[in-house]
Amino acid sequence: MKLKKLLSLFLVAIMVLTLFTGCAKETTPETPNTPGEQEQPKEEEPKGDKILKLGNSGHGGLFNPIMSDNVYDDYVTRTIFEPLVYNDPEGEMIPILAEWTLSEDNLTYTFTLKDGIKFSDGTPMTTADVEFTYLTIAHPDYNGPRAYAVSSLLGYEDYHSKAKETFDGIKVIDEKTISFTFKDGMAAPANIECFIYGIMPKHYYEFETWEDFLALNEQPLGSGLMTFDSWEPKQFIKLNKNANYWDPANVAQIDGVLISEVPDESIISALQTNQIDFAQPSASSENLQMLESLDNIHVANYLGNGYTFMCFNTLRPQLSDVKVRQALMYALDRKSFIKAQYGEGLASVGMAPISPSSWAFPDASELNAYDFDLEKAGQLMDEAGWAMGDDGFRYKNGEKFHVNWLVYTDSPWPGTLSGMAADTWKQLGVELEVELMDFDTVASRTMDAEPGEKDFDIYTMGFTLSIDPDPTGALFDDNAFVAGGFNASGYKNAEAMELVKKGKTEFDTAKRAEIYKEWAKIMNYEIPHVIIAYRSEIWGINNRVKGMELGTYFDWVQCLKDITIEN
Amino acid sequence: MKNYIIRRILQMIPVFIGILFILFFILEQAPGTPVSNMMDPKMTPEQKAELAEKLGLNTPWYERFVNWIGEAMKGNLGYSIKHKKPVLEVIGDYIGPTLLLSLVSLGISVLIGIPAGVISATKQYSLIDNFLTIFSFIGISIPAFFFGLLLLKNFAVDIQIFPLFGLRDPLLNSDNMFVLAKDIAWHLFLPSIVLGLQSTASFMRYTRSSMLEVIKQDYIRTARAKGLKEKTVIYRHAFRNAVIPIITLLGFWIPLLLSGAVTTETIFGLPGLGKISVEATLTRNYPLILGINSILAMLTLIGALVADILYAIADPRIRYD
Repeated sequence: MKLKKLLSLFLVAIMVLTLFTGCAKETTPETPNTPGEQEQPKEEEPKGDKILKLGNSGHGGLFNPIMSDNVYDDYVTRTIFEPLVYNDPEGEMIPILAEWTLSEDNLTYTFTLKDGIKFSDGTPMTTADVEFTYLTIAHPDYNGPRAYAVSSLLGYEDYHSKAKETFDGIKVIDEKTISFTFKDGMAAPANIECFIYGIMPKHYYEFETWEDFLALNEQPLGSGLMTFDSWEPKQFIKLNKNANYWDPANVAQIDGVLISEVPDESIISALQTNQIDFAQPSASSENLQMLESLDNIHVANYLGNGYTFMCFNTLRPQLSDVKVRQALMYALDRKSFIKAQYGEGLASVGMAPISPSSWAFPDASELNAYDFDLEKAGQLMDEAGWAMGDDGFRYKNGEKFHVNWLVYTDSPWPGTLSGMAADTWKQLGVELEVELMDFDTVASRTMDAEPGEKDFDIYTMGFTLSIDPDPTGALFDDNAFVAGGFNASGYKNAEAMELVKKGKTEFDTAKRAEIYKEWAKIMNYEIPHVIIAYRSEIWGINNRVKGMELGTYFDWVQCLKDITIEN
Repeated sequence: MKNYIIRRILQMIPVFIGILFILFFILEQAPGTPVSNMMDPKMTPEQKAELAEKLGLNTPWYERFVNWIGEAMKGNLGYSIKHKKPVLEVIGDYIGPTLLLSLVSLGISVLIGIPAGVISATKQYSLIDNFLTIFSFIGISIPAFFFGLLLLKNFAVDIQIFPLFGLRDPLLNSDNMFVLAKDIAWHLFLPSIVLGLQSTASFMRYTRSSMLEVIKQDYIRTARAKGLKEKTVIYRHAFRNAVIPIITLLGFWIPLLLSGAVTTETIFGLPGLGKISVEATLTRNYPLILGINSILAMLTLIGALVADILYAIADPRIRYD
C-alpha cells in the first residue's frame, strides 16, 4: 500500500515534470502539428551527410581575419576569407589570390590579383579591398593582434597616429596591382608572412566608427570556399558551401562545415558515435590508443610547429653561471618526463629553438640533449662553487641553493615536470619551491614585469612558431627583455644577436640555415631558455572523410577544397 | 508592508555599491592583466602597451571604479575584451541556456524534494524514510562530474539514446516549435537530472528536518486532538510552518540559478554563464567579470528581499511595519 502510494507520487512528479519542461520552451503560439510534420527531421537527416563535422571548443566569436585571436576562430575565418598568399604542405609560400614579385632591394612586394576573383555576394575583388584590409589594421582604433603585419611598412607611424591621411608604404597601382614597401633596413624573407591574412570586401566592411566595424565580427563575408550561416555561442558554427566561388574548378565538394563545441571529456566518444567527423584530442598515448581501437576512425599524427620551454632568470646569482644551468638540465630526466606525460613517439627531447620540421633545424648530433646524468650534474655544481653541505643541500658563501618555479595549472605538463624535478634536483642538493598559479599570473610575474621586477627563478610555458625560423622578438632576443617582451631570462649575448640579425635579412636559404645552426649551438650551450620538448599533434578522422592530409604546415582548412565525404 | 519594501530597496543601493567596490578592489589585487594572455609571438611590447592603454588599464583603479559606476547607471556595462562586443550582449548570449537548465532542475528538486521530505518526516524511521534518506545521501555525496560522465557513458555512448553534447541539433531545420522544443528537452534531459539530483537531495533533507521539528509542536497535537484528519494536520497546519526555512533556501537559490551549473555545463557542452565567467576570470576580462558579478550580486539581494516578503505571506505572525 505504502509502496503503491509512493509509486503514484513519483509518476505524478514525473508527469508534472515533463509538462514543466514542455512549457518552458513553448513560447510561441502553437503550430498545428500533424504526424507528418513530426517526421520531418528524419527525412532531412540524409542531407546532413555531406556536411563535414568538426568538434572542438574555444571559439570566441571573432570571425574576422584581422581580429581573430585564437586558432579556432582562425579556422572559421580562413574558410570564409582568402589571403594574398599562404603556404603549401612543405611550408613554402604560394600565391592564393595574387602572384607577387619582390623588388631588387627586397623592400617592395608587388601583388597582381588573379582574374575573376569575386566575393561570395558576387562583387568583384579589386586592390581597393586589399588596401582597405591593410589600412584597417593600421587604423588608430585597431585593437586586434595583427599590428605587426603593417608596423614595418613605410609610413606606418604617420598613418597610425593620424599625422598623415595616406599610408606611404601601400600604393594601389591599378585595379589589379598593389605594392607594399617596407622601411629601409627591414628587408627580410619573413616579411611575406605579413600577407597571409584574409582580404575583406571594402563595400561591406567600410565603417564610420570602430564599433561599427566590430559589430560585423559575427556576420563575416569574404571570397572563400565557405559562407557564414549562423553561430550559436559555445554551441556551434554553421558554414555553407560558397556555390558562387570564383574559381569553378575548385568549388568545395562538400555542402558545408559544422563546428560543434564538444567538451574535452567527450571528444573521443563523439568520434566513436559518429556525432563528429574529426577532432584533435590532446596528444597522449592513452588518447592515441583509444583512437586506434575505433573501427570508424583513422588517425593523423604529425609534429606540431612549436615547443615547450623552461626559462631561467639569469640575473639571479644562483642561475647566472652557465654551469649551474647545465647541471640542472643534466639532473632533469626529460626522457622519462616525455614518456610519463605524452607517451613514447608523441614527443621528443627539445634541443634547438627551431622546429625539427624546419629547414633551419641543425643536425641533432651537433647539439646536446642533456641526457639524464646526476653525476655529471654534481661535478658541474662543484665546479661552479656550490659545495654539498651536511644537510643534503648545496651552499656557496653560506647561501643555500634555492630556486622557485612558477607552475601554471591551466595545462598539466608543467606540474608533471616540476614534480619530477623536485625529486631529482633534491638528490643534486637543490631546494626547489614550486608555486602553483594560473597562466595570467605566471605571465605577469615573468614577461609582463619590468626588467628589474621580474619575480621568478624558473618558469615554463609553450611557444608556437611561425613557418619562418626568424627568432626576432621572441625568447632569445636581447631587445625583447622589456616589460611585455617575450625574453624574461635577462640573458644577453652580442654574438648571438649578430647571428639573429644576419639570419633575418639573408635571402639565401642555404646561408640562412648555416647561420641558424651556429646560433642554435650557442643557445643549446648557454640555455637561458631550455627547449623541453617538441610535441606531436593527433587528429581522429572518420573514414567517410577523404582527402584530409594533415601535416605540420597543413591544416584541414588548407585541404578543404580536396575533402570529399563518401557514405 | 509597502513602506518596508521601499525601505529595503533603498538600503540595497549602498550595499550594492559596497559589493562592487570590494569586487573592484579584489580584481585589482589579482596579478596579471587582460593583455598578459595575448601570446601572439609576433606582437611587440609596444603593441601590447598600446592595447593596454586603449583598454584603459593605465588609469588608477578607483578612477575606473567611479567611471564604471557612472556608465553602469546609464545601462552601459562596457565592452568585453575577449568578445569585442558589449558586456550586456555577451551575457545575453549565454544567460538563456543557463536559466533554462537551472529552472528545469530547480523544478525537479522542488517538485520531488519537498513532497519526498514531507513523506519522509511523517513516516519517520519507516522503510520509505530509510530509502529516501539513503537516496538523499547518495545524491548529496555523488560528485556532479562523475555522475554526469557515468550517465553519458551509459546513455550516450553505450546505448545511444541521448546526445553527447550541446543544447540542440544544429542540423535540425524545422519551424515547428514543438519539434524544436522536443529536441531541446531531449538534450537537456541528462544534464537536468545531474544538476537536479543534488538539489533534490538537499531540499528533501531540509524539508524533512523542518517538518520533524514542527510535528512535535503542541499546536499539532492540539490539531490532532480537535479530530482533524491527518492529511489536514500535515498539509494545512504543519507544512505551512515548516516551509519557512525552505523559503530562505529558495531565496538564496536565485543567484545559484546563474552560477551553480559550471560543472554540468562543462561536461555536457552546454553554452552557459558559468563557463563564460570562469573563462573571463582566467583571461582577466575585467568588464565581463564585473558585469556578471554585479548581476549576481543584484540577484542575491533581490533573492533575500523576495524571501523576506514570502515569509510574511507564509506566516501571518510575521509583520513588517
